Amino acid sequence: MIQYAAILMMMIGLYGLFINRHVMKIIVSLNVLELGLNLFIISIGYVTGGIAPIMTSTHATSALLYVDPLPQALVLTSIVIGVGTTALGLAIARKIYETYGTLDLERLEDK
Amino acid sequence: MSPIFLIAIPLILAFLSIISHKIAPYLVIAGTLFNSIALWFITPGVHSIGGFELPIGINLYVDTYTMLGLAVVNLLFLCVVIIHIQKQKKYASVLLVALVGLNGLLLTGDLFNLFVFLEISGIAAYILSTSNQKPYHTFQYLVMGSIGSSLYLFGLIILYAMVGSLNLMHIVHLIETQNIPYSSLILPFLLMFIGLGVEAKLLPFNAWVKGILSHAHGFVGSIIASVYAATISFVFGRLILHVFQFEGRILLVITILLLVGVVLGEAMAFSTSKAREILLYSSIAQASIVILLFVQGLVIWAVYLIIANAIAKFVLFTVIGHASKEQCDELSTLSGLFQKHVFVGIATTIATLSMMGLPLFVGFLIKVNYVMILANQSQWLIIIVLILSAVVEGIYYVRMLTKLWFSEQETPNVQYAWGVQALLAIMAAFLLIFGIIREPLSRFDDTIDQITEEIEVLF
Repeated sequence: MIQYAAILMMMIGLYGLFINRHVMKIIVSLNVLELGLNLFIISIGYVTGGIAPIMTSTHATSALLYVDPLPQALVLTSIVIGVGTTALGLAIARKIYETYGTLDLERLEDK
Repeated sequence: MSPIFLIAIPLILAFLSIISHKIAPYLVIAGTLFNSIALWFITPGVHSIGGFELPIGINLYVDTYTMLGLAVVNLLFLCVVIIHIQKQKKYASVLLVALVGLNGLLLTGDLFNLFVFLEISGIAAYILSTSNQKPYHTFQYLVMGSIGSSLYLFGLIILYAMVGSLNLMHIVHLIETQNIPYSSLILPFLLMFIGLGVEAKLLPFNAWVKGILSHAHGFVGSIIASVYAATISFVFGRLILHVFQFEGRILLVITILLLVGVVLGEAMAFSTSKAREILLYSSIAQASIVILLFVQGLVIWAVYLIIANAIAKFVLFTVIGHASKEQCDELSTLSGLFQKHVFVGIATTIATLSMMGLPLFVGFLIKVNYVMILANQSQWLIIIVLILSAVVEGIYYVRMLTKLWFSEQETPNVQYAWGVQALLAIMAAFLLIFGIIREPLSRFDDTIDQITEEIEVLF
């Protein structure tokens, strides 16, 4: 069920990317899209009743029901990449403002 | 030698280049030189990283297909660096990161790792494109690229949820053995196809290309249209051949989409009078042809086409990009450019004629061969579109060459360094020699891609 919520969030992000004509709003929409995607990745590893995938003295067997640890590792990488892209997007946004004096795409396209 | 060095050494040099800006350009030259030499000594086969065996750990995979890709990409990258590093010193670290990303894309056998390298090379490309001084277009590229890689990742995660692996060879094996119906795999495959299609300049996901390449000078033009395009095509080819394996109605839809890409690309190139726009629309059409050949299962001729295109586009973007930056972009202001630069003119003419597919040049050999194979498969619609597109391509390229060679007005004042002219001459000679001496090309056939055999051995 949580997957549908994540996909809905991605769709909201995509919708924002299509309708917004402002650089900062586009960056925010891109983040909403990426956040939805990250939630989707995490939700894939969820197992009902599963425990954290760590072997301890109380859980010293691999036969127990663990949640899938791989999506958790993947999502970390995905978050880091998202942060990098956002930082670069903001740097370019600043450059756009310095060059054209506006962040409005409607006015940028005329220049 | 392990292929990991092709990724690790440039990465270490990229970190070192941040410490001292003075030595950074030398580190770039050292990194690209190392890769260009080391790639000939890497051992073919599967290389597990960190001692984790397949399918748990990330692996790098080297076969003849990968080797050809590595050779083309690293040697062209070396040429870009030699020509432009003096004037683009501040991009030294980024160039090294780009080299890491491109080598990683070609080598990795893990589809999530592929996403990481896609982002690494993508971010490097966004930063390199800032040298166009058009931040709005760079921003457009960044947004489109990020959406593309997000869609690729979305598709990949759905695929992981279905088959339970991220390793390319393991996924192919699992899809075959678990008898997963193709209809349920269409969604993840389409998402991944669209994601990669953004970088590969496929219609309709290529809105960023015009902004970046129509303002590109020699540096950005040659690196994005030649080196990046070749890498993405190689990666795309591998996924199409082994993972996607389009069939039935979806094959028809993809084929028509690609054919529309070819037709529109050529039509747009025909209708413009700006030199760089002609080249960029032509590269959109060429990218669609390459992917079309992969979709139809023509491995070796698609690979040769990628290589020939990468070399020809390198020559064209270096020459036109440099001239357009100094002068205006319109063909009329560049007319007579080659009257003062006969060597550059001859090299450009050879590259253009090879792109058009005229006899004596390697482009002709490639075009004839893939058309013959398609004729054997009775793919008449594709053949008609490809021949028509070749005719249109011939018209606009001849028009461009005539403008650049002959002029009644004053010729534009553009300077090309001797080193650049020598490199362009070598590239042109390559296109000419392989057009006349055909034996080296017949050494390879569709068996350059050995993943299927490797899967049988491993699983």
